[in-house]
Amino acid sequence: MDGMHDLGGKERFGPIDVNEREVPFHSPWEGRVWAIVMLTRLRGGSLDWWRHVRELIEPTDYLTRRYFDQWLQTQTAALIDAGVLTLDEVVSGKAASSPNVRPPLMQRRDVVAQFASMATSFSREINSPPVFQPGDSVRARLMSAPGHTRLPAYVRGHVGVIHAHHGAHIFPDASATGEERAEHLYSVAFKASALWPEASKRTDQIFLDLWESYLEQA
Amino acid sequence: MTSYSRDRISAIHHELHRHLPSEPALRVKALETILIEKGLIDSQSIDAWIEAFSEDIGPKRGAQVVARAWVDPQYKARLIADAPAAIDELGYLGYATCHLKVVENTDRLHNLVVCTLCSCYPISILGVAPNWYKTAAYRSRAVRDPRGVLAEFGAIIDDQIEVRVWDSTAELRYMVLPQRPAGTAGWTEAKLAGLVTRNSMIGTHRDLTPKTAA
Repeated sequence: MDGMHDLGGKERFGPIDVNEREVPFHSPWEGRVWAIVMLTRLRGGSLDWWRHVRELIEPTDYLTRRYFDQWLQTQTAALIDAGVLTLDEVVSGKAASSPNVRPPLMQRRDVVAQFASMATSFSREINSPPVFQPGDSVRARLMSAPGHTRLPAYVRGHVGVIHAHHGAHIFPDASATGEERAEHLYSVAFKASALWPEASKRTDQIFLDLWESYLEQA
Repeated sequence: MTSYSRDRISAIHHELHRHLPSEPALRVKALETILIEKGLIDSQSIDAWIEAFSEDIGPKRGAQVVARAWVDPQYKARLIADAPAAIDELGYLGYATCHLKVVENTDRLHNLVVCTLCSCYPISILGVAPNWYKTAAYRSRAVRDPRGVLAEFGAIIDDQIEVRVWDSTAELRYMVLPQRPAGTAGWTEAKLAGLVTRNSMIGTHRDLTPKTAA
């Protein structure tokens, strides 16, 4: 999707707040958003769907709202879409029904244990062998399909080199539509000098992790 | 049931934008109230998540991993070869680190980590990502002007040093292994861990030389 979220290489943003206080949350409400999303994350669809719901935030909101406000907007929309909440409930601030159920109560140590148990593998076995090998030159395809993708605009059409093969991983473009299938995943190195005119004399490199169908032989 | 319909989501976003107050604290409070009334969450668990990420799960974990790698060459070799297994030795494997990669700074190489498309970050070893890491400023500039970004953080990278930027576009997560500074021979692992900054493991800080090094 050619959305506002695809920020790599866009110009005139800045400066960066390098003196920001080193704390996880900058207001009490930010911590509560974090906790609410983690506690209700399984009710809102796949991780890639969730990312896509965030990408679909209105572009002006995407650029101007604080990060955890975007999380709040994303989770609220995902929960409404999944039928967990209704728009009327969110707007009125009152639940239409109050079932007599009690969620499990968590202590701090339970959170630490649960977070450790959430180490999820995205690797999958597939039958087809990898098309590319480390050292191969590849071109990122000129794709701009409307759905979710993890192929950023700033490398599309550019040539890079396969740096590593990671086996097959769940393919996000499909996962964001509720379909789980896997493709070979590669780290691809792009020369900064090939991507950016102002870096023509640099030896710097940019590495991206890209799925096989994002790439073609160069 | 999730619809997986982007048009439906856009319509919901639009309605939320129109009908809800602009102040996020008010919207969070309303959502929390509804979810509690529905019996889906409770305040005590919310507090527990906030406390765990304020006290237990943060960059001190990553600093311990780095210090261990500095004093134990065999641990460092395992960390580079199979980072998830190596951090699991310290009990730090968890959400978002199942496909962790550790990239090592050297005299000739400097590594910098970003997620241009969203906010991917190795949370179980570095905690909640800094706000700046999730801003349009950092996400847009880190891949195009990494040296300018580093200079803004106070790290001037010599022209002879290659900068490698890792854009976290898949479920792999990256952590930088900074160089052990001179003047720390004989230091304990715990003392060394005290030198390791969060930013050095993202790559926006390079030189960890202790300020009072004798």
